[in-house]
This record gives sequence, C-alpha cells and structure tokens, in this order.
Amino acid sequence: MPGTYSLNPEAEDERVAANTIKNITDDELIIVVADVTNLKRNLFLCTQIIDLGKPVVLVLNMMDLLQKSKQCIDLDKISALLQIPVVPVNARIKKGINELKEVITNYKFKPTKLIALTATERYEKITTILLSCLKGGEANKWIDRTKKIDNILTHKIYGYLIFLSILFVIFQAIFSWSAYPMELIEEGFSLLGSLVESWLPEGVLSDLIVNGILAGLSGIVIFVPQIALLFAFITILEDTGYMSRVSFLMDRLLRPFGLNGKSIIPLISSIACAVPAIMSTRSINNLKERLITIMVSPLISCSARIPVYTLLIALVIPTEEQVGIFNLQGIVMMGLYLIGFLAALFAALVFKWILKSKGKSNFIMEMPIYRLPRWSNVGFSVYNKVKVFLFEAGKIIIAISIVLWGLSSYGPGDTFEKIEEKYASPAYENESEDEINNLIASEKLEASYAAYLGKTIEPLIKPIGFDWKIGISLVTSFAAREVFVGTMATLYSVGDEDNTTSIREKMLQAKNPETGDRLYNKATTFSLLIFYAFAMQCMATLAVVYRETKSYKWPIIQVVYMGALAYISSWIVYTIFS
Amino acid sequence: MTLDELKENESAQIVQILDEQLEESMLNMGFIVGEDVKLDRIAPLKDPILITSGLNYISIRKEDAKKILIEKTKTS
Repeated sequence: MPGTYSLNPEAEDERVAANTIKNITDDELIIVVADVTNLKRNLFLCTQIIDLGKPVVLVLNMMDLLQKSKQCIDLDKISALLQIPVVPVNARIKKGINELKEVITNYKFKPTKLIALTATERYEKITTILLSCLKGGEANKWIDRTKKIDNILTHKIYGYLIFLSILFVIFQAIFSWSAYPMELIEEGFSLLGSLVESWLPEGVLSDLIVNGILAGLSGIVIFVPQIALLFAFITILEDTGYMSRVSFLMDRLLRPFGLNGKSIIPLISSIACAVPAIMSTRSINNLKERLITIMVSPLISCSARIPVYTLLIALVIPTEEQVGIFNLQGIVMMGLYLIGFLAALFAALVFKWILKSKGKSNFIMEMPIYRLPRWSNVGFSVYNKVKVFLFEAGKIIIAISIVLWGLSSYGPGDTFEKIEEKYASPAYENESEDEINNLIASEKLEASYAAYLGKTIEPLIKPIGFDWKIGISLVTSFAAREVFVGTMATLYSVGDEDNTTSIREKMLQAKNPETGDRLYNKATTFSLLIFYAFAMQCMATLAVVYRETKSYKWPIIQVVYMGALAYISSWIVYTIFS
Repeated sequence: MTLDELKENESAQIVQILDEQLEESMLNMGFIVGEDVKLDRIAPLKDPILITSGLNYISIRKEDAKKILIEKTKTS
C-alpha cells in the first residue's frame, strides 16, 4: 500500500495497511515494494515486517533511477543480510515482473532472526547494511533536481500563479476540448433512437426503449468526455508529485478553516467526484480535520453537476454572448464552481466551531521526487473512473428511467381512457391530428402517477420557483444529480412523437401555465442552479460517508445541512430575480 | 536553538525531539536524532517548511519544528 511508512500507524490509510499485515498467515506472502532511491527509509518498514515473523519478499522498484545516478547495489548481499528474497524490478517498463512471479511460486518461508528492537537501533542496522551493499554515485541527484523544480513551483508568486493556471487549463479543457466528442455522442444517440423506432413496431416496447431507456442513457454517456479529461488531469497531477506541493502551498491558507493542507487533494478531486475524494481523506491523520473535509467535499461542484449546469445555463444565457474574450456561459459555470468552493469553506468554518478536537494536528508529509506521469497509470485510472460512473450510475439511471417512463405513461384508474374519449368526441373534429395528439399527451402527463408525485411536493418547492415537473426531477435526482437531465428528457419526450427536438429546445418551449411566460426564466433557472450546487443529492456519496465515518450520524447531518443551505439560497436567488 | 529558527538553506544537527509522538512520526519519515537536517524552503505564507535529512524530503509545520532542538553545524 503506497504511503505506508511504518507499522505504528498515524493515519487511517496506514492503519488499514498495518492491520492487514498483522493478520497475514504463514501461507500468505507480503511483498514490500521499496523505492530504491530511498532505501534507508523503505527498509525501515520492511525490517519491521520481517521482525513480526511474517513471510516477506522485498521488491526493489525504480532500478532505472539507480543506474542513472551511477549507483550500484549488491542484491545477493542485501538478500543474505536480511535473510529474505530480493527482486529488482522496473514497474514502469514491466521489467523483472516474470522473475518476481518465479520467486513467489518457489517461495518457502523460514523464520528469520530479529533485526532490531528499537527504532534507533533499526536505523543503525539499516545504515550498516546499506553501507556494505550500496555503492558509489551521486545519490542526491534526483532530490537536487526536485528541489530546483520546487524553487519555481512553490515560489511565493509563481507557485500560486502556476497552480491557478493549471486549474484554468483544466476548466478550459473540460468545457471546450470536450465539445466535439460530446456533439458526436449526442448525434449518435439521436440516430440510434430513430433507428430503433424504424425497426420496432410502434407500441409500448418501442416507446419504452426510445423515450425511457435511450433518453436516460444518452444524458449520461454524453458526459464521459468531460469526466475522462478531469480524471486524467487529476491523476497526472498526483502521479508527477505536484499535488503534494499544492498541499504545501495551501496548508497555511486552509488551516483557519479547520482543514489541513492535505485536504486540498480531496477538495480538488471533488471537482471530479466526491466518492474517491472522501476515500482519499484517509491520509489526513487528525480526526477533526478529516471529518470536516468529508463533510464539506460534496459542496464542491462535481462532474455529475456538469450536465445539469450545462443544460440549465444554456436555457437562459445565449451561446454567443461574450464578456471581453470570455464566453459568458463559461463565466457563469466558473462562478458556480466558485460559489461551491466558497460554500465549502464557509461550512468548514461552521463545523470547526461546532466539532470538538481530538488529538493534535500536523502536516508531516513526504515531498516525492518529480517524475513524469506513468501514462499507463493515467489510462488505467481514467478507464476505471469512467467505468464506475457509467455502470454504477448507469444502472441507477436506467432503472429510474424505466420507473419514470412507467409513472409518466400511466395514470390512476381510468383517467387516461377518459382523456382519449374526450378528444375522440365530435367537438375536436376540426383540429388537426397532430394537435390533438399533443393535447392528449400533455393532459395524460398531467394526470399520470408522476404528476401526482410531483404535485404532492409542489407546495414545498413553489417558493423557490419550481413546478411539479422539476419536483419529479428533484425526487429522482436524490439517487444521483445527473439523473436530472435524464428525467427532464423522459418527462418532456413523453408524447413527442417525432423525437426531433433536443431536451434543451423542449425546455425552452415550456410555459408557465399560470402566467403563460417561459417556465425556465432567469429566476427559476438560477434558483435551480443554486439548488443543484448545494443540495446533497447523491446516494453514492452518502454511502461512502457512512462507510468512512462508520455512523449514520454524519451522512444524515450532511443531507440536512446541505438541503437547508440549498433551499434557503435558492429562495434568496428566486426572490432577487423575480 | 530549534528547527524553526533556521533560515532557508541552513543546515544543523538534530539534537532532541521534545514530543514523543512527533519523534516517532519523524523517525518514520527518516529523520533521526543525531543526523543532519537542512531547511530547504519556507512556504510563501511563512508556514509550513520543507526540510531534508539525507534522501528524506518532507514538509512540517513550524509549530512542530519548534519542538525539534538542533545545533548549527555549517551553512551552505
């Protein structure tokens, strides 16, 4: 497990590793992967495990760096002195992996002599071992180069400028580079929809697939380019060692808010997804700082909000509008991210006042040497995150899409038949068939089960400018925010026979039945945006908060405080704009 | 003197660490009493600091650096 320095754990991630090691039986095998450029400290952990009487194989990684710094290591001698097998590998180019497999298959455990009792004694022994096994070269070459880079990257002016520029590039990439693949996906789904319609006989099945499943699914797949880019950037920043420097720069700034420099990693990861972000808080060893980071991370706008933001912003702000060289839509989007970040800091401050502190806080953190990102690692991480997003979120979304399609296509009792009978009467003979079909569809939707659900909560959400259709979306979004787009797509495409107009156009045409004005005017749309920025609408996050805090208390507090924040803020925004 | 009093690029020898828990943390990161330590960098906002001992390169807050007694050896 990376980031484990000792068997006397301080942070949650080390505790997990230490417990696993202590529970290992004799027929299992521990492989200690040590960075050969800092063998002294890595052997500290390795010898601790040897002294527990556990079967150990030592793998020396990054042998290429050793050769480049003109050092050499006597592998047989180190193996003899530690009495364990030692295998050199270069994980980046997969060198030595076969040799390692061979060693593992032929491994026979024999108990070794105790190496040391106290930590100081252990370091003395290790120093002696290394003196006899590690020869020559410029050992400090890599760390010297790293420090030169740090002179720039942690510089009092350039350091922050570079960090802000990197954030800016990430945002630009997400919103402009991904536009082309997103268009392709949208067109692809639209094509698929019409294909299915032409293949299948008209009826319930075709309707379910096109307006239920495909409509819900396209709303998700379309965001894969953005999410993939975001995770690629975050993995690159972590892999190169840059994230640790950002923590170093931010520690003093975050401390007044009850956070730790290490909190910046979860906070930045939350731009992609709060679930891995909350899991990464394990490296924060102070319990209070960790808890605050967990509680406020979901306020940072995650990638699931991107679809909601994109759709809603496009409703009220024209694409062409520019402020200077910047696109106004982009600015509003950045503003929403900023609001989320400020809300997170504010919430952190409140939690800092309420929560009691247990244990001391520190910021002892290794600064890894700079290395080029391992592209296979980046690719693997992106693939994994996208897979989780597509399949985990996709499952929920398809299920919800089907339920929703059912709820909005059927109504209680014989209400639907009555509507059809009404329009079949001679009074409507003069109207065109299309018009009648549209009237039937909208009346049916209003009489459907979904409408009953939405109308039940309508009184509650009316003060913040939402109608029953948005109400249904709020209910379904509780599973995951991006479901909003799918729900809207399903709700507005029921009854749309040609399936030609996009969801955005349908929402633009939506009218407020009381005033006859556009339903998605500035007041309602901004209110919705703020609501989605603040409200806790993600089952996956709540599940992971429960798992990490081992109590129902924290996820419940999270739902309540974020819900209250969302409702009050939306009300304020709605009142200002209407 | 204590570690937080060093200037950038000054080195010293670690004499004693006044907090047992801190001593253990430092030991895990490869910082050992009796060995040399160098202050590489002070963060733009004066805290935390980056320090090295041998090949170990870490950050630490000034609050903790105050608990690390040192003796100046050389300036580089």
